Amino acid sequence: MSIVDNHSLALPPRISEAGVGDYIALLKPRVMSLVVFTALVGLLIAPGHVHPVLAITSILCIAVGAGASGALNMWYDADIDALMSRTAKRPVPTGRVTPQEALTFGLILSFFSVVTLGILVNWVAGALLAFTIFFYAVVYTMWLKRWTAQNIVIGGAAGALPPVVAWAAATGSLSVEPILLFLIIFFWTPPHFWALALFRSDDYARAGVPMLPVVAGPDATRLQILLYTIVLVAVAAAPWALGYFSAVYGVSSLVLGGWMLLLAINVYRRREGAPAVRAARQLFGFSLIYLFALFAILLLEVVVAAVLAQFG
Amino acid sequence: MDEEQPQGIVLTEAQKKKRRERSIAIAVALGILVVLFFAVTLVKGPAVLNRPM
Repeated sequence: MSIVDNHSLALPPRISEAGVGDYIALLKPRVMSLVVFTALVGLLIAPGHVHPVLAITSILCIAVGAGASGALNMWYDADIDALMSRTAKRPVPTGRVTPQEALTFGLILSFFSVVTLGILVNWVAGALLAFTIFFYAVVYTMWLKRWTAQNIVIGGAAGALPPVVAWAAATGSLSVEPILLFLIIFFWTPPHFWALALFRSDDYARAGVPMLPVVAGPDATRLQILLYTIVLVAVAAAPWALGYFSAVYGVSSLVLGGWMLLLAINVYRRREGAPAVRAARQLFGFSLIYLFALFAILLLEVVVAAVLAQFG
Repeated sequence: MDEEQPQGIVLTEAQKKKRRERSIAIAVALGILVVLFFAVTLVKGPAVLNRPM
């Protein structure tokens, strides 16, 4: 018997002490909440009637699919998560959940979310959910994230797809409206994540993740944030300009967009010390409110229209 | 007669507690899946087999 064999026999078996909370953490609940909200809007603005049971099923499957992507991301990224203060306490880098357990958990949830959505709702939505999980776990996590500074630009497509999946779940097809919602989230992602990367660039540099501030520097990132925010404001107003949503949405998107643009200009102008960090933090925080508010207005429009149709 | 010594891996109380929690969570998740399939079957009726591509 070789020395290696002796050592392998000497290793004590690892008994998992992972709790339910650790597995919930693998699902990235905060990301999931945004996914659920945007998907809910995509589902409710879709034309026609969706039975509540099918609506709940769709949202549940999309949520679980998003969670599965998060678990697969945490499995693959455990090495770099351990090096960043923001992610070091996640279940895999701390050893509460083994990489194998995270991988198995992610794969099982991916399978069940896609198959359940396909069987119970429709296969257009099922296929789109499978593509979303694949895009996030393989294209973004395994390929883009460690390779290019454009990682979150292209990878942002995965985060932008949930309302499209939900629309497909409601209608069985695709249309211009969900693509507009997709574009809003897609162009929102770079200013949001680059604002975060500006005040977390040390973390990303330590982990060797080529985020834009690490690769191109903070000033180039500030310019990109400003440019993407200008495009975002225009894209966010497009659904109103093209006649898909009402003037209430249009005016709200312009007001919110104007505010976001002011914060992006502030980030562009303040480049040194504490004011620069504060400006980036303000933009990061407001970007979350911005996206939530835009989609909440769409949701409100649908609810008001439904109430008026019922009692009007 | 002496008490029989436990063979193989012996779980600690903490490990047993966590394992039980995980088992309950799996049971709840499977229960939700069963209820979901049952509810959709009731909603769709015979059309449950009609799954457009």
